[in-house]
Amino acid sequence: MIQLLIRYLRGYVKIRVEGYSSERFLNLCSYHRIYIWGLKPCGQAYELYMDLRGVRKIRPIVRKTHTRIHITGRYGFPFFLHRYRKRKLFFLGILLCIGLLYGYSGRIWDIHFGGNESWTDETLMEFLNTKNIRPGMPKKEVDCPQIVTDIRQQYNDIVWVSASVEGSLLKIQIKENEDTFIEEENTATDEKPDAKQQTDAATETPTDLVASEDGVITDMITRRGVPMVHIGDSVQKGEVLVSGRIEICNDANEVIGYRYEISDADVFADTTMEYTDSVPVTYAQKQYNQKKQRWAAFVQIGSYRIAVGFQKHTFSKWESYCLERRLKLGENFYLPVLYGYSCVKSYDTIEKRYTEKQLQAQLSSNFTRFSKDLKEKGIQIRSNSVKIHLDEDSASASGTLYLNQRIAEPADTEILEIERNELE
Amino acid sequence: MRGIFMKNEQERDLLKTRLASAASLPKDVVLGAAVVSVLGNHEVCIENYRGIVEYTECLIRVQTREQQIRLHGRGLQIEYYTNDEMKITGKICSIEFCE
Repeated sequence: MIQLLIRYLRGYVKIRVEGYSSERFLNLCSYHRIYIWGLKPCGQAYELYMDLRGVRKIRPIVRKTHTRIHITGRYGFPFFLHRYRKRKLFFLGILLCIGLLYGYSGRIWDIHFGGNESWTDETLMEFLNTKNIRPGMPKKEVDCPQIVTDIRQQYNDIVWVSASVEGSLLKIQIKENEDTFIEEENTATDEKPDAKQQTDAATETPTDLVASEDGVITDMITRRGVPMVHIGDSVQKGEVLVSGRIEICNDANEVIGYRYEISDADVFADTTMEYTDSVPVTYAQKQYNQKKQRWAAFVQIGSYRIAVGFQKHTFSKWESYCLERRLKLGENFYLPVLYGYSCVKSYDTIEKRYTEKQLQAQLSSNFTRFSKDLKEKGIQIRSNSVKIHLDEDSASASGTLYLNQRIAEPADTEILEIERNELE
Repeated sequence: MRGIFMKNEQERDLLKTRLASAASLPKDVVLGAAVVSVLGNHEVCIENYRGIVEYTECLIRVQTREQQIRLHGRGLQIEYYTNDEMKITGKICSIEFCE
């Protein structure tokens, strides 16, 4: 293949050798290292292929062997150029093509993101745009280490970034910190005293733990502070469970001072919660009129839009939707060309009634979702007495949930002063 | 006189053959023998030759240092022809070595 290409680029000819001692001509050619191929006898003569360098050397051989040669075919790039030498625009086009290819290959034409899960391609693309990194920019202006630094600075949860230029593609590989989301969720939903305590520890304010709900204590582990209640005690909302104030007594068992701490404990209690939920019995169903529809297709280039079809209407109730697609090269190089269609549909509404089964299913699924939410918050459901009530014009579910949950929440400790007896 | 030379030549060849065998030298280099590689009955490569004596579609005669190689066949064509090697294609019927 490469040999064929080299032959084509150098140019070669097909020649016909006639005469008394054509064999001698062949032998002399090989002696002078003139490369010959495709040699075949053709009557009293031979036909063979020879490259242009060989042709320039055969004149003395022809004279010596008293043979005659005829060039029967010319092939290759030099002859191609010679044949089309008058077609200036064609050559100009080739040159322009090479020039454009060279020019365009010096630019970034696409940006590929890999490894991103929580940050979408669009978000990262927008961020890069603010740093003037966009498709179409010159390749030599791309500063990969700077891109890496910028992304790391902007996004804290991205723990590793690699940017590299492959051809005209800017490839950005990202590794996100997957633990971040779990931690964030925990701080947002879980009311752990530990987490609160950490924030309090910074401020160094002594705290008690008070009950966030009414209930009966089932389990209690105190790490710091003085427990004020025991397992089996009934507590009211706001009651102090663990005190952050530790009494210091003397030998006579008199309180001579207080030490304040940030209380830390896990307190679980049985609590109750009222649950009510209702769903509408009727709903409005849309009935589309297939004959009353307006369609329009469009192409938008920049801010100019060309549309086919018309959408004026006098419908009383209607909905309109539109589908737009944007042309893009590769993955992220969007062109300013949009196309799509829009549609206006007329409809009438009919009031319909859910069946009993549907209402039951809806209420059950609502309750299941509610229970799941509670579980995610770490609240255990011991039992429930939730019942579904279906009437002529209402559907509801109500009852009591018996839960077991953490009820400790921090509150500031009351600071007490000891009046010292100054008799001494 | 000729007989003596003949004898000397034969002895020299024998000596060369033995030397080549003993020193494990390639015989085509030491003796200048032609190397003919045949692939099936449609391709022959010849090395170490002097030149083409005759070439038609059904017969090719190639001169080597000591003898002639005759190739009989049909539609014989020389794929390439250089100073070192030539490749012949076509349907080959026989290969003969003539003094």
